Amino acid sequence: MTIWSAIITSTGQESFGGFPRDSYITYALWAAFFGRVGANWMYEFRMIEEIESGSINSILVRPISFYEYYLSQFMGYKLATTLFSFAVPIVATLFIDSPTIHSRLPLAVAVQILYLILVHTMSFTVATLSFFLTRVHGFTVAKNIALTLLTGELFPLDLVPEPFRSWILWLPFSNSVFVPVGYLTGRLGIEDVARGILSILIGLAFFGAIAAASWRAGCRRYSGTGA
Amino acid sequence: MLMKPNYSSENVIETDGLTRIFLTYKKGEGLWNSIRGFWNREYLRKVALQPTTLKIQGGQIIGLVGANGAGKTTLLKLLSGLIHPSGGDARVLGYRPWERKPEFLRKISILLGQKNQLWWDIPPADSYDLLARIYDLDEAEARRRVNELAELLQCRELLHVQLRRLSLGERMKMEIIGSLLHRPSVLFLDEPTIGLDIVAQTNIREFLSEYVKRERPTIILTSHYMDDISLLADRLLLISKGAIVYDGTVPDFMNSVEQMQRLTATLAQPPSEARELAPGLILDPGTEVFTAELPASQIAPTLQKLMALSPLKDLKIEEADFEDVIRKFLEKESRLRASGGPIAT
Repeated sequence: MTIWSAIITSTGQESFGGFPRDSYITYALWAAFFGRVGANWMYEFRMIEEIESGSINSILVRPISFYEYYLSQFMGYKLATTLFSFAVPIVATLFIDSPTIHSRLPLAVAVQILYLILVHTMSFTVATLSFFLTRVHGFTVAKNIALTLLTGELFPLDLVPEPFRSWILWLPFSNSVFVPVGYLTGRLGIEDVARGILSILIGLAFFGAIAAASWRAGCRRYSGTGA
Repeated sequence: MLMKPNYSSENVIETDGLTRIFLTYKKGEGLWNSIRGFWNREYLRKVALQPTTLKIQGGQIIGLVGANGAGKTTLLKLLSGLIHPSGGDARVLGYRPWERKPEFLRKISILLGQKNQLWWDIPPADSYDLLARIYDLDEAEARRRVNELAELLQCRELLHVQLRRLSLGERMKMEIIGSLLHRPSVLFLDEPTIGLDIVAQTNIREFLSEYVKRERPTIILTSHYMDDISLLADRLLLISKGAIVYDGTVPDFMNSVEQMQRLTATLAQPPSEARELAPGLILDPGTEVFTAELPASQIAPTLQKLMALSPLKDLKIEEADFEDVIRKFLEKESRLRASGGPIAT
């Protein structure tokens, strides 16, 4: 928020990229929370660890899918953290002069919940690489750095020049921060949310297919770890 | 239309040429060799299980015995669906294990003695609640089952203690309850008594003995403790270098191998020079306490020669136990396999 305030002050104008100072400050406030909720390094590391150490055995021999087992843990954890963490920006935007449209919050949160399924699917895909490679934590780090840029957590994606802006917006990753926060703060309309939902569904089909293929190949290769 | 599983109703487990070969990437030293490994990989090939054909009837307890790396755990992992075979086929309860169909997984259980399968940070009672949901068990029935098993294992007071605060023996009891909660028809037990003290081993052995009498599951049991096998198993499978080298009952096995006895004699007058007591059996000069493991048929002639040399101060003849016999048998098999000699079956 401080950085955005300094940037706009340094331009000597009240607005930047077509949006006023308040819009950026509110965006930065909400982006920090949506960004945290949309991250999944912790469960990704756990899934990798399970495959590397062989503790996945206890799941493989039970009538439960590894994907669903971790999805339920991840979503349960996110539900609890979302409820608590969102209380802060909600209260803050009620008391400061902010362009937040609170009536849009349910749809913004719904988009992110759908996005979380995609996040989990991507994490699952990375974790399945553990069947083939010795260490895959580097992929998690690289993926998370890329996502920080592509989600809009660092800056609103409408500042990206065309045609990159359109390309990035058609990727599903902007639904983590830019689409829900943009919709919540009035930068985006319902049509952008609809496009976002469609891109998540396409992303789910894409990563789901890769994850399923990688899982099947990995299980065929799996040695159960140890004697 | 529902497809009926195609397997013999008598045989709960059937394998046909089941094989598993592990390929391990041989990583070169240093950064350059690591990078080179991306396009120029060298693999080590290890045959963990040679083509194996087995038929196991329902209600049997199979003792699977072999040295470390012989292929016991690989066979269990294949039959429980944890790993895929490199060749051959298998049916357990009519299902291909590695397809891991939920209806198959509801009927089997595997207990890996060296790995925790319950949740480390929560009390076993909570883990069992979770397992009851995973297996779609009736909540009240699952609780009754837990209490009944805990009673048999004498560990009811531990059900609400965090798993990681329990001793190894206590944890194993909890793991056993977890693996039996859903009344599996086929149970794979991989070293259930490993690392346990004698008392804990005996408790678990007695529990398993009582349990199989009551519920008649099919069990494949591996153990390094031969007491587990000799007391529990109806049928013995000996495995060496990935191949089944003996398949029969424990008494038949003991009868099939030449019985060895350990002779320990204390000589009143140690010999002043080396003497040959039997072909290849030399009594060294100055030996006061002579010990040798001999086939039963050679004990009397050897003893006669010893007594001709010197009066005996003390004499002890012991029967070689099951563990000794197995060890010697497997060592012999291993040597024969290494030299490409004839293999006993």
